[in-house]
Amino acid sequence: MRAQIEMELEDVPGQLVKVLEPISSFGGNILNVLHERDRKTPLGRVPVRVVFEVDERVKLNRIVGALRSMGVRITRVGEKEGAVRSTVLLIGHIIHTDIRDTIDRLNELRGVRISDLSLAMGAIGQESAARATITADDEARARAALSRLEKIAKGKSLLMITSLEGM
Amino acid sequence: MRLVLIGFGNLGRGLGRALVEKSRFLRASYGLAPKVVAAVDEYGAAVDEKGLKLERLLRAAERANTVAAYPAKGKRGKSALEVIDEVEADVVFELTPTNIKTGNPGLTHIRKAMLAGRHVITSNKGPLVVAFRELDGLAKRQGVEFRYSASVGGAVPVVGLAKKLLAGNEVHAIRGVLNGTTNYILTRMSKEGAPFEVVLREAQEMGIAEKDPTLDVDGIDTACKITILANAILDMDVKLKDVRAVGIRRIRPEAIRLAQEAGYMIKLVGVARRGSLEVGPRLVPAGHPLAVGGTLNAVTFELDLAREVTITGFGAGPRETSSALLGDLIDIHRTLEG
Repeated sequence: MRAQIEMELEDVPGQLVKVLEPISSFGGNILNVLHERDRKTPLGRVPVRVVFEVDERVKLNRIVGALRSMGVRITRVGEKEGAVRSTVLLIGHIIHTDIRDTIDRLNELRGVRISDLSLAMGAIGQESAARATITADDEARARAALSRLEKIAKGKSLLMITSLEGM
Repeated sequence: MRLVLIGFGNLGRGLGRALVEKSRFLRASYGLAPKVVAAVDEYGAAVDEKGLKLERLLRAAERANTVAAYPAKGKRGKSALEVIDEVEADVVFELTPTNIKTGNPGLTHIRKAMLAGRHVITSNKGPLVVAFRELDGLAKRQGVEFRYSASVGGAVPVVGLAKKLLAGNEVHAIRGVLNGTTNYILTRMSKEGAPFEVVLREAQEMGIAEKDPTLDVDGIDTACKITILANAILDMDVKLKDVRAVGIRRIRPEAIRLAQEAGYMIKLVGVARRGSLEVGPRLVPAGHPLAVGGTLNAVTFELDLAREVTITGFGAGPRETSSALLGDLIDIHRTLEG
């Protein structure tokens, strides 16, 4: 998952290096560092935003814990929105089994939405096919979305084809 | 080494031809001089303790459709069980057709051969999906070697790669395109935009799909292979019924097109990992090692040290499969020589 930590550092040399160290040593892969010296806080601190990837939530927690124990002032910890995208195919009587309902039931999950939907209609009486891109804020939400869709598909006798990465 | 061949259809004949072709090579490279002392099919047997002439055996089988037509030494009505009982041999090849429900007649043949102290090499998935643990245990108790490389992946050395060359790794998962027929059908559908039924008929005419394509297109053949890999490589104790299998009958050209637009191919993929055994159509990114076309097979191992290893090649055909059967024979020969 892609995570983001916003913090405020004292404006003395060596602070930035100090906070990056635990991120990489706990398995974070740093993607972007934004060090905004010209946007100092009233107390003279420098806002810093680090975006990185970690493969599990536990590691993010460890990183945050390590930073806090170093006395770093953390203002926001977030997972980047829509960071995990999954492509899924559905085959069956997609329209007749209420496609609106299928989409709504997925969208009602927090941090999940269908960001793309393409439909190929079958001939009359034949099955149709649809491709959906499900965007989720993190891996756990993506998994929850896929397992909900699997239940919906089962109930509506749709064949659901997930991508290999999800297996 | 004295060999008994049980089953002399496509695979048995393929092995016979390979033994003729490789006779000099086997002697020169491995000091191995295999001698077929008996061959059996459903109509009878040919037995010669001095060794059958393989060219003659192949001719008899092709002309009269049974090894019982072998000059002088052929005998109609002689059964595999009689041959296992009566003929002194080192290795029994069990190459009869697969029966996934009972495992027979292969299962009975293998049991009997092991109890008679013979090493066993098989291509037959039936006995393996019905009684893998039993046969594995029986071989150990009897102190005989048991090999089944040809049952998964045809010429592709899936089992040997994992069990021997990658032996230092823990295998987390095995994923594979393990059925050439369905892979051919899906590949043709994606190239031609043709419906499943049309491509299936074409595959049947070309001899790629069987008259009754159920085992292939419903994912059952792949499920058999996943069962074997789970037992053999992941040390699980599972049977065919433990694998959840979905086939490719509902795949439509439009679905393949939608997948392609997003950079994917649809493949029938089998997955074995502890806690999950399944077979079904999956989206495989174009360019992924498992995105092989035509009748090719491909298997990816997920490993702790090596991370990922993928192997690919021809999963069927008598000549290709003889590569696996011969490999098992040489492997047993080396094991015995220590």
